[in-house]
Amino acid sequence: MKLEVKDIRKSFGEKEVLHGICFQVESGKALGLLGRNGAGKTTTIRILMDVFHADSGEILLDGTKFVPAKHQIGYLPEERGLYPKRTVMDQMVYLACLRGMRTKEARENAVRWLERLEVGEYASRKLETLSKGNQQKVQLASTLVCNPDIVILDEPFSGLDPVNSQILKDVVNELIGDNKLVIFSSHQMSYVEEFCDNIAVINQGKVVLDGELREIKREYGRNRLMLAAENYSMEALAEKTRREWDDCVSIVGQKKEFLILELKGDTDRRRFMERLVRSDVEVEKFGGYEPSLNDIFVSKVGEEI
Amino acid sequence: MRKFIIVLRYELKEYFTNKVFMILTAMLAVLGVILLFLPRFMDMSDFTGVQIAGDNSGQEETEEGEKDTFIYLDKAGVVHKEILEGMFSDVIWQEAGDETEVAAAVEAREAAAGFVVTGASEYEYYVFNKSMTDRNTAVFDQAMKLFYRMDYCSRTGWDLEEITAMYDVPVTVTETVLNKDSESNYWYCYFLVIVVFMLIVYYGQMIAVSVTNEKSNRAIEVLVTSTSSDSLLFGKVIAGAIGGVFQMGVVLGAILLAYQANREQWGGMLDMFLHIPAEVILAFTFFGLGGYLFYAFLYGAMGALVSKTEDVSKSVSGLMVVIMAVYFFSLINLMDVDGKIIRILSFLPVSSYSTMFARIAMGTVAPWEILASFLILAASIAGTGLLGAKIYRMGTLRYGNPIKIGAALKDLKKSE
Repeated sequence: MKLEVKDIRKSFGEKEVLHGICFQVESGKALGLLGRNGAGKTTTIRILMDVFHADSGEILLDGTKFVPAKHQIGYLPEERGLYPKRTVMDQMVYLACLRGMRTKEARENAVRWLERLEVGEYASRKLETLSKGNQQKVQLASTLVCNPDIVILDEPFSGLDPVNSQILKDVVNELIGDNKLVIFSSHQMSYVEEFCDNIAVINQGKVVLDGELREIKREYGRNRLMLAAENYSMEALAEKTRREWDDCVSIVGQKKEFLILELKGDTDRRRFMERLVRSDVEVEKFGGYEPSLNDIFVSKVGEEI
Repeated sequence: MRKFIIVLRYELKEYFTNKVFMILTAMLAVLGVILLFLPRFMDMSDFTGVQIAGDNSGQEETEEGEKDTFIYLDKAGVVHKEILEGMFSDVIWQEAGDETEVAAAVEAREAAAGFVVTGASEYEYYVFNKSMTDRNTAVFDQAMKLFYRMDYCSRTGWDLEEITAMYDVPVTVTETVLNKDSESNYWYCYFLVIVVFMLIVYYGQMIAVSVTNEKSNRAIEVLVTSTSSDSLLFGKVIAGAIGGVFQMGVVLGAILLAYQANREQWGGMLDMFLHIPAEVILAFTFFGLGGYLFYAFLYGAMGALVSKTEDVSKSVSGLMVVIMAVYFFSLINLMDVDGKIIRILSFLPVSSYSTMFARIAMGTVAPWEILASFLILAASIAGTGLLGAKIYRMGTLRYGNPIKIGAALKDLKKSE
């Protein structure tokens, strides 16, 4: 399956909040929708789920118009919530049946997913009696109970402790391994980096960067190097770089353990290495720099999240 | 349709697994039945006018023990003790020697009441605590008037029986009601209008709160992406209707059946409320249920316009004004069910549930009028259902401040 979102626009009142959102994602891969709070991620997802109607643009699945009601979609909304006064099993079966499953199958799936997420013992308990983390896991189990082909997770890690986050990571990896089409919205870059083959960075209602994450990283890392020295502090090394090597590199960033340099003009790595070897610097760390998603995001959106 | 049934089943489970709902229903029904069976097990003849069947001698002994003692002093020499005994059937009369004895007996609670007759048309009444329902002086007044007439006739030589027969000529009337007997239909009509009003307000409020709860606990986003808002709202409202009809049906059914079983023991005194003709119950079922559904959809939509349950009452206040106005107007106009205004109102869906029902029970109404009114009501239910579902869909994902109904309708119009 291939899902394509093409030039989606949406206004609330007089204000246009999405200005032509475009991205695509295929089965067996995960797309990370990134953006700051209020960037337009949730609105985009709600349009995908037909909660809102787009003013213009189209969404295609394998080249034909995408109608959410015709597909099994597991949707974990940003606004979490189930019925606090009903039992976990009751509401899971209810939601699965609403998505087209038979009661028996729904019950079996509910048991399976609750066990998988390590909350099987709470099946007959009322939701309100569970801890917040376990409620979150029940919500995720409810999302997946209908055996969806498309999984849309809006901020799935919010509210989870590290142990539960690991369980969720494993589940998401399994979904990707099972050839599901996964769309994943988050502003926690580390999670997106772990799962997503593709990203779309949304800023102020526009996609400012999209494509294959590996390619994007490669592109952003091109001509960039990392450098650290045994005999120079970071500040001294930066000063030396600016003073002696300004004709071939510039400092574009600084991490805790190394400087990030960018080669200038026609300078290549070999030439800079020769200069470095001839200097008094005792190299501690030197190599090509692969930017983190956070670096890419910051450079595109302009502010650290 | 399948999804509607899934929603309906889920919502029904909410009612039928709710212990408070089930226990309240059972308690009300059992309480009603117990009250209506009381005349079978205890003497309520004072109230019902019907003596309990069984062993009379034993009963008399018991009653003898329970009789009050009244004391009297006849200074005027007009009192006939046997007449007092006839007029105060549950009283043992005791004659006193002087006024002090009367007062002392009452004060010591040896006598429940005391009378000192000081003249042919004058007496004094003694009682320790006078209750609000004390009718002793009213009955004694009648006795004194009779003593006076007897005394007068004996002094003048007139025949008291002849005079009495001349004044109280028995009149025989044979009544034939060709259509409706408003006098006998009035009270159960009144009773049923109150029942349907309570049904609408109580269950309507429950539906509105249930919708708002789904919004406040954020379950709504999962729901609206899993099925249509029509299925969700119709399932919720119909489940509320079934819950309401079940509760009212069990309670009212138990009461009506218990009364039928004990009607003789009650001497038919509750006929005005509980001996309801089948056609009136049928009309009540159709129009009452129709009115309930009509308003229930609107309550559901109003619930979707707010995000917190504490705002529900504010959101439904406009609806309440309409319901209250219809309710009071219906009750006031029960005296004139064939009037022009009530005839017009009996065709409007906001009011036909009580006004057409009242006309059927008490007035003159042609079959085509009933049919037309019901069709209008049915079409309006479908209309409010669909409109309600649209408002519900539009309002459910708009959190924050309550949305005014005018703004909601404007937005709906715009989105179309």
